[in-house]
Amino acid sequence: MFYRLSGVHHANYVSDSRIFKVPADRNLTAFIFLIGLAAPFIIPSLYLNSYMLPWLIWTAAALGLNLVTGWAGQLHLGYAAVMAVGAYSSIHAARFGVPWEFALIIGGLTSSVIGSLFAFAALRVKGLYLALTTLAMQFVMDWVLTHSPAISGGSHASLQSPTLALLGQEITTDTGFYYVAFGWCVLVTIFMLNLKRTGLGRALVAVREKDFAAAILGVNSFYYKILAFATSSFIAGVSGALLVATFFFLAAPEQFSVAVSIQVLAMVIVGGLGSIIGSYFGVALILLVPGIVNGLVVTLSDGLGMQIDVETLAHIPNAVYGALIVIILLIEPLGLGKLYGNIRDYLMVWPFDQFKK
Amino acid sequence: MTDLTKNRSSGGETIGALLAKNASLHGKDIARREKERGIWKETTWAEYAQEVVACAAGLEKIGVKPGKAVLVLGDNRARLYGGMLAVSLLGAYAMPAYPGATLEELRHFLGEVEIVAAIAEDQEQVDKILELKDAGAEGIDHIIYDEARGLGFYEVEGLLSWDHLIEVGQHDLNETPGLREELLSRAKPEDPAIFLHSSGTTGAPKGIVLSQKNVLAAARNGHAAGAFDENEEILAYLPMAWVGDYAITVAAALLWRFTVNVPERQETVVRDMREIAPTFYLAAPRSWDQMLTTIQVGIENSTPLKKRLYHFFMDRAIAAETRKLNGKSGGVLEPLGRLLGEAIIFGPVKDQFGMSRLKNAFTGGEAIGEDTFVFYRALGIKLRQLYGQTENSAINAIQSPGEVRLHTVGKPAPGVEVTIAEDGEILVRSDSVFEGYFNKPEATAEALEGGWLHTGDAGYLEEDGHLVVLGRVSEVMHTAGGERFVPNYIENRLKFSPYIKDAAVIGAGLDELTAMVCVDFEAVGHWAEVNGVPYVSYADLSQREEVATLLREAFQRVNKAVTEPLRLQRFVSLPKEFDPDDGEITRTRKLRRKVVQERYADVIAALYDGSKEVHVSAQVTYETGEVGKVERSLPIREV
Repeated sequence: MFYRLSGVHHANYVSDSRIFKVPADRNLTAFIFLIGLAAPFIIPSLYLNSYMLPWLIWTAAALGLNLVTGWAGQLHLGYAAVMAVGAYSSIHAARFGVPWEFALIIGGLTSSVIGSLFAFAALRVKGLYLALTTLAMQFVMDWVLTHSPAISGGSHASLQSPTLALLGQEITTDTGFYYVAFGWCVLVTIFMLNLKRTGLGRALVAVREKDFAAAILGVNSFYYKILAFATSSFIAGVSGALLVATFFFLAAPEQFSVAVSIQVLAMVIVGGLGSIIGSYFGVALILLVPGIVNGLVVTLSDGLGMQIDVETLAHIPNAVYGALIVIILLIEPLGLGKLYGNIRDYLMVWPFDQFKK
Repeated sequence: MTDLTKNRSSGGETIGALLAKNASLHGKDIARREKERGIWKETTWAEYAQEVVACAAGLEKIGVKPGKAVLVLGDNRARLYGGMLAVSLLGAYAMPAYPGATLEELRHFLGEVEIVAAIAEDQEQVDKILELKDAGAEGIDHIIYDEARGLGFYEVEGLLSWDHLIEVGQHDLNETPGLREELLSRAKPEDPAIFLHSSGTTGAPKGIVLSQKNVLAAARNGHAAGAFDENEEILAYLPMAWVGDYAITVAAALLWRFTVNVPERQETVVRDMREIAPTFYLAAPRSWDQMLTTIQVGIENSTPLKKRLYHFFMDRAIAAETRKLNGKSGGVLEPLGRLLGEAIIFGPVKDQFGMSRLKNAFTGGEAIGEDTFVFYRALGIKLRQLYGQTENSAINAIQSPGEVRLHTVGKPAPGVEVTIAEDGEILVRSDSVFEGYFNKPEATAEALEGGWLHTGDAGYLEEDGHLVVLGRVSEVMHTAGGERFVPNYIENRLKFSPYIKDAAVIGAGLDELTAMVCVDFEAVGHWAEVNGVPYVSYADLSQREEVATLLREAFQRVNKAVTEPLRLQRFVSLPKEFDPDDGEITRTRKLRRKVVQERYADVIAALYDGSKEVHVSAQVTYETGEVGKVERSLPIREV
């Protein structure tokens, strides 16, 4: 009903390969972008920096994991470790006096190098074995962080992040932090949107579908897997650094534990493998829904005058939230992104069931 | 250039002069788009004119000159249109033929005029021309092809690609200064624009040459009557050998600078139409019916919510349009329903079929059914009727957007004089009327008697100047009881049923009327699926008792609309569709009454001798040219 396609034609290949071919998609994206831009003025500061900001940074991080898991099809259970590498190296660089712009890039590159180093070793194996190897990486990183005071300051210490400054401007306000997160998320999203229509993106998909079939087609699957790991690790590194610089302000090993790795993977899977819009939804669900459910349960129990003890109260949201994930994956195993796609398809052919010749 | 302006001021436009004018004044505007591998390749007027001139120079080199003809064979291709223009620049005859034309039909053309070259779409058409050459058309020295696929290893003398022809022509243009201007101003308004053929419902097709003056006058008249505006977006999908296509896609497009969009293939027309969303669209009533069927079938297969919403808005809109057609005023809530409906249902439906930008929608060639007509009006498409024939470059009368009535075809276009002869025949006088049938002085004298074109259609003018067309004069028949009737009129009413594709009404000189009908396979097939009626083939489906009930309802509805003695009494549903390859209908799907009456003489006899069943063996021509037979016993059914 909202999707009007008549009169959309392409007179050259440049126009034919544009990102948003459907005018309605383009308009919707522009609208959401404008809302994102105006968010500090319409959303109360509390919600802005405790919901919107982490949502955007985690979305950027999830998109990075989606690149390796959704596009290249490689299961990755040590993503948080890669984020940690980026976070610690950036902060150290910044503390050393390197401007933040470069510190972030240094963080990204360090992550990229370490991520691909592990990938070199890990990619000799496939599937579940790869998953286990990446998990091992997570534990190695955890161990290194807790046992090397030079990096983390020790097992129970945390590392103070210097004040973020970009383009010679110190950033101290909530609005400022929000715009940094927003900018990074938009940047990663644009990169991912473009990935779809490049040779790199198509090669990654070929590798995902069947790596040896891709090899037969002349796609060097090992090279593309490494490239996917390196790129995704770069995104992870910068996201990790920004997370500390704009949200936590302190870096501590437990912020990047194995539980976090699993959580990011859950975001990607619930959102939908290989789906960009899905990553936004997935992060929102995993990150924000527990809080909302918690609020709901508390209001409900208060409103109904039920005496629920604190322990149960803490568990109900978790149970609800777990059930929600199960239900979503039961309804649509391909995740929230696919669910959105289904709705889009339904409206796309409106008022027909499918467009017939 | 000076004499070009003189030509224009004296009203004598030519194709060359218009091409030159468009190229110089609107050189950067898009003249045409052709879809190739998903991309609409654009050509500006300047490039287009250059290509046509180069083609003309090339054609001249291979011996095309006034008095000779060039056969144009294929589906709509941008280059074939360009080739036709190039032939007109040289003052020769561009002779398009239906791409599905059989060898027999093409051979008929050979006897009329010397064909020296042919422009073919692809290998299939080249093969056909080669076959034609073997069959005696030695005169065709050169065959120019557009699509090279499959032709790489052909070793035929005179076979050359379009690109090569252009190259040769371009070379000539570069060598000879002034040749371009000379070519563009060579042809005079009286020189031929196109060599078409009458549809040949009775006897062999007659050659019809329309001069450049004729076709451009028609384009001017059409514009004056509000049929099209300047710079329309149009889709070139009608058969190139039909006058309607030439009048719109070539003549009007040149005069009013349309952007002509050529679809990738015949099979992709529906999709391509959506991509282009034309502002002007002309289609036969059959195509409008077909689209209506597709929409309805699509809705029936849709999800419950969509279906319910569709019916909610559509049923009300149709009721409102019907009221309007009958001169009643609508309810208070009507505009609101219209507005919501447009956003929720009508807009999306139009969008799906590429009709969202449609301003000038036309139906022509035959009468259109009320249901179809009202449906499109309800959808918000101002469907109008257009009346014309090949002899008059397709444009006689056009309905204006405001005053649309179902039974008239509108007022005669400005520049067209219409009068009614004493016997009820419609006579036309206009600049767009042709000079006469090619090499047929007797037929010409008959058709142009007294300076008026005798259209052969019976009709009358209403008091307010609207023209009503009843049918062919030659088809006015009388029953044994002396009752006058026009079979075509009744057949059209039968065809308004979505389930009947073709019909032949019988009864001249007999006591009562009967009919033979061909069911519409798509519509009836779908109906059978939905209603659980099993069938294996067209022949089987057409004879099912359930289908007969369906047809009976259609007959009863028609019988209600005609007077008592003209009611149809019995009918037979034929086991095969009428097919132009079998000669039962023309390529424009008009009934060849004589052929049908001869071929189905047994059936006709059985319709009147009281038998319950008739054995029939119908001829079927396959695409390979082989002839087969369909044998079957058909029950005779009472209405």
